[in-house]
Amino acid sequence: MLIWLFAAVAGFPGRSSESQAEDRRSLQRAASGDSAGLAALYDRHGRAVYSLAIRILGDEGDAEEVTQDVFAQAWRRGGQYDEARGTVAAWLLVMARTRAIDRFRARRVRPEGRVQDDDGMTLQQLPATSPDVASEMMAAERGQRVRQALEALPFLQRVAIELAYFEGLSQREIAERLEQPLGTVKTRMRLGLLKLRDALVEGQP
Amino acid sequence: MNTAHDELKHDAAAYALDALEAAERAAFEAHLGSCAECAADVRQMRLAAGPLPHAVPQVSPPPSLRARILGEIAGAAAPASAPAPAMVAGETRGLPAWLQIAAMLAIGAGVFFYAQRMQARVSNLEAQLRQAQTLVAAAERQTLEARNVAFRAQSAMGVFAAPDVARIDLAGQPVAQTARARALWSRARGMVFTVSNLPPLPPGRVYQVWVVTSQAPVSAGLLTPDASGGGSVYFETPVDILPPTAVAVTLEPAGGVPAPTGAMYLVGKPSPL
Repeated sequence: MLIWLFAAVAGFPGRSSESQAEDRRSLQRAASGDSAGLAALYDRHGRAVYSLAIRILGDEGDAEEVTQDVFAQAWRRGGQYDEARGTVAAWLLVMARTRAIDRFRARRVRPEGRVQDDDGMTLQQLPATSPDVASEMMAAERGQRVRQALEALPFLQRVAIELAYFEGLSQREIAERLEQPLGTVKTRMRLGLLKLRDALVEGQP
Repeated sequence: MNTAHDELKHDAAAYALDALEAAERAAFEAHLGSCAECAADVRQMRLAAGPLPHAVPQVSPPPSLRARILGEIAGAAAPASAPAPAMVAGETRGLPAWLQIAAMLAIGAGVFFYAQRMQARVSNLEAQLRQAQTLVAAAERQTLEARNVAFRAQSAMGVFAAPDVARIDLAGQPVAQTARARALWSRARGMVFTVSNLPPLPPGRVYQVWVVTSQAPVSAGLLTPDASGGGSVYFETPVDILPPTAVAVTLEPAGGVPAPTGAMYLVGKPSPL
């Protein structure tokens, strides 16, 4: 029970409380104008924020702007962070998702603005070399668990969840796209999330 | 209040996934404040939704981004490491000559042992550096792979959200009258193909999906249905393809063929979505 409660607060089951405490300290420092605090936050979460933005937007330039925006927000409004609502990492990632989806929607509204995502994706800029191979490997392992849990879902449950989370469609839009009754989409999302929860939380030692 | 609950209780999943429209979200949030059951439900849904960002392939941002963020936002360059304490020069003037010589001898002996230890450390460090370089090279390879996966994954799901998506319903042909399929195709994002009731494959054969254009059919890819004859597949299609006039499925030799040769099992024309 306690583990469940903790996982709820942590935003990801098993995420250690020390790293949250460290993140909180860094955020407090950043909010009080200390750029070292911001640097520490960026070094721990910049990659995850950027990766989420690039997944949603499919464009490196846009993903960089979203990342910059998220850390600007942490710098200016770090004081508004409320630990009761989740970890610092979850807070940063939720901001990244919201901003990326907003941008994505704005782009969909203006047909002219559709990205040239085919020539836009160049590999000219080599990725930064990893400063911390060990923590990246941990992140990769964690990511793989979530991915496997997602892939294990029945196709339409997974599609409904991914369309909502990564493509920013509302449940009504999803129902239209999939030509399913709205009630069915609600049920599929719910079943899918319950299965994900079971795979990710109960699988914890 | 109970009617509100019955109406809203199914929205917890969409709320946790941020898939409610503004008015729905406002109604749900108003209800949440007074309904412990729904609040508990949302917490459960968030346990599952929270980790979703970690499912995306991790891609390293360019190093210039860090400098820009710290430079522009924090109004300062990346915090420099603490300045190294200045070396305090030894004060040797005024010592007796013998003491200076003894000191130099002692230092010479010390330097000799120090150099030997340094050499061992240097070769140790060199070995570590080589190992680190191997790791970095591996990480770079992984990142490039992850990046490709990211774009592919985005394409597969993006078909549903693409502004130019076209729907093609395919009907079973005489060899497979009960078979049905639906293709969703977007020029930029590719094609999601869902099929049901295809007859079991004869040995050495495979179903092949074709995008038919005004010129020649282009192979989208191969399809091996599950035991019930159903399945869902994502195909990447060339972005320079002519607008499809139809999508078809034929039975072909295992491995597929460059142009259709076998019997047609399913065919359909695009309809606006």
